[in-house]
Amino acid sequence: MNNKLKVLRAMRNWSQAELADRLDVSRQAVNAIETGKYDPSLPLAFKLARLFEMPIEDIFDDGFAGQE
Amino acid sequence: MMTNMPKERRAGPGYLWPVAIIMIAGAVAGAFAGYSDGLAETGGQPLPTWAGPVAALVLALAGMALYVRLNREAWAGWSPRKRLYWVTMVASMSLGAGVALTLQVAQGSGDLASDAPLTPATAIIVSVIWVVGMSVASLFYFRAVDDHERHAYYLGSVAGFHAFVIACPVWWVAARASLAPPVDAMALFVLTLAVNLIVYLWFKYR
Repeated sequence: MNNKLKVLRAMRNWSQAELADRLDVSRQAVNAIETGKYDPSLPLAFKLARLFEMPIEDIFDDGFAGQE
Repeated sequence: MMTNMPKERRAGPGYLWPVAIIMIAGAVAGAFAGYSDGLAETGGQPLPTWAGPVAALVLALAGMALYVRLNREAWAGWSPRKRLYWVTMVASMSLGAGVALTLQVAQGSGDLASDAPLTPATAIIVSVIWVVGMSVASLFYFRAVDDHERHAYYLGSVAGFHAFVIACPVWWVAARASLAPPVDAMALFVLTLAVNLIVYLWFKYR
């Protein structure tokens, strides 16, 4: 699943470690999500959405947006 | 999909010193064993079997205590989850070291992974440490891991389980047909753990 995590993080000038601390996950978790190697659980996706003050679908793109 | 991202600086005190401390402690245990063997070969009185492991354990504990002390400001900013995670990790490693030390002291010289006989008391002590320790450590581990690591751990566990259920019956029927030596429980245990660890590390750090 594609996501805008790296862009959103860069806009706030946060390192992966800083974002990981804010989410209370490991830096590897942030890196894996950013590189698309791991899709976060729903609770973690909500946590990201709250942190960036955006809807989940504005952060993550499953490739089916607007097709329904 | 975003790939080829630059490596980022990792927050916190890093893993180099703990790894170095453990390696140095292992080297000290090896040096004690070598020195003891040398004494025995020259007709002298070898050192007690517990000397090397105890010296290594004391050195490792002292080194880790110093490491924790020197980095105390870094730990202060950790979340409760992260603290619990690392306490569980260190406790689990200490548990393994405790079991190894107990076995080494009980059986005297020789290979730690041998099938040499043990006294009932040693077997009971090691079993209790393992069962209680593993149960408690697992409980705390699952309370402390994050999303991503839990995922890696599940995949590693499934891979380890499959390694066991595939290898064990094959070895068993091969042994019954005299095509292989008798089934070795510890070899299967090591295989399961190795597959579990490799898959877990792959999904956590790839």
